[in-house]
Amino acid sequence: MSLPARLVRRGDLHSLAAPYALDALDPAERVRFEKHLGSCRRCAAEVRALAEDAVRLAWSTAAPAPAVLRDRVLAAVRATPQDPAPRETVRARAAPLPPHVRGAAPLPRARERRRAPLFVPFATATAAAALVVASLFAVQADRTQDRLDAERDRSREIAHVLAAPDARASSGRDARGRTIGVIASASEGSAIVTLGGYDDPPNGRVRQLWLMRPGAGPRSLGLFESDTPLVASGLEESATSLAVTVEPDGGSPRPTGRPVVQLALKTVGFGE
Amino acid sequence: MQADELLVLVAGGDHQAFEELYGLVSGPVYGLVRRVVRDPAQSEEVAQEVLLELWRSAARFDPGRGSALSWVLTLAHRRAVDRVRSARAAGEREQREARRADGPAFDQVAEEVEAGLEREWVRRCLDRLTALQRQSVTLAYYDGYTYREVAERLSLPLGTVKTRMRDGLTRLRDCLGGAA
Repeated sequence: MSLPARLVRRGDLHSLAAPYALDALDPAERVRFEKHLGSCRRCAAEVRALAEDAVRLAWSTAAPAPAVLRDRVLAAVRATPQDPAPRETVRARAAPLPPHVRGAAPLPRARERRRAPLFVPFATATAAAALVVASLFAVQADRTQDRLDAERDRSREIAHVLAAPDARASSGRDARGRTIGVIASASEGSAIVTLGGYDDPPNGRVRQLWLMRPGAGPRSLGLFESDTPLVASGLEESATSLAVTVEPDGGSPRPTGRPVVQLALKTVGFGE
Repeated sequence: MQADELLVLVAGGDHQAFEELYGLVSGPVYGLVRRVVRDPAQSEEVAQEVLLELWRSAARFDPGRGSALSWVLTLAHRRAVDRVRSARAAGEREQREARRADGPAFDQVAEEVEAGLEREWVRRCLDRLTALQRQSVTLAYYDGYTYREVAERLSLPLGTVKTRMRDGLTRLRDCLGGAA
């Protein structure tokens, strides 16, 4: 490319600063311009100033958010680990936490909260969501990035269930006080299921979750890993209940023993 | 506590700080998203994504580069614009026609929400722009159009639209200057 052509091209890129600040570039241009920004200090400063100007346009738009949004966001936040800080800003913070700790904030009261009486009917799905999900993201110092990623994916799935307009919660308790909790959306066909108060299954055994359906055998929804919640999707609206059995390692195609706990799904909108 | 300080606490996993921060930013975030996306259900969804992202990526906030509110509103705007564009791309023609029918619609949406000093201030400053500056800026910012689409809608050359956007923003800065 000749020098004048290059200058024109560069001038052309510069002129995109204002549209960029207004989010008025199409994706390809956005990428091209951001690449340019990385190598052009002057542009970066200019874009920052223009972006501050653009944000002022938002001042005129504030409107009270619906109350239900608050419930949803706060419940989702409880189920969502945080991203670690980018390296360069970690140093700037007072007493920074190591990234793996930052990745999932400790919830000191969560465990006590889970011991709250579960027979009390839940006022809202989100109140139950906080209860069921909160304790499950306690700090584990040995988390790997893969694990964090997997958890983040799971958190997104959880947030998705919580955000469903028909998300409802229910819980049950067996004679020994052990609990099963579910937050489910019949319209999404998805559910978050969690167990409480259970010891680890004996060596070589796992707890498996089943969906009970009329006119069909139980369908496996997956295996519980210690006390992390199971997110199940593709649930038929005709499903009647959830059941947990103890199975040989790796799970079984069909339940081989009696359920250790069972929970009807009618109250969360299924079976109709 | 200010949003900036709260956000630093939130980056450390402080749930209470997040609730407080929510109180400060949810109105601006929801209002902005609603202004761009229009549809209430979709606006709620986008606002929820943004507020959740605020929690998740709080550690990325760099106080040296601007205020927490600007940061989250910039994020909210980007997400709202992405949503409205993909809705358009998905061929929601009806919605687009409705949008076209009510045009830039700064006045009318301003009525939907409570009047406030800041709103009045922005409105007054927008009034001081030339018509082309104002349209270029508001079609992009409030309606989520790319500058190419703005140029098409206003039947102007691309270069003119880019210049009008820049001039409009700069003039807005001069007018709103002391208000930050």
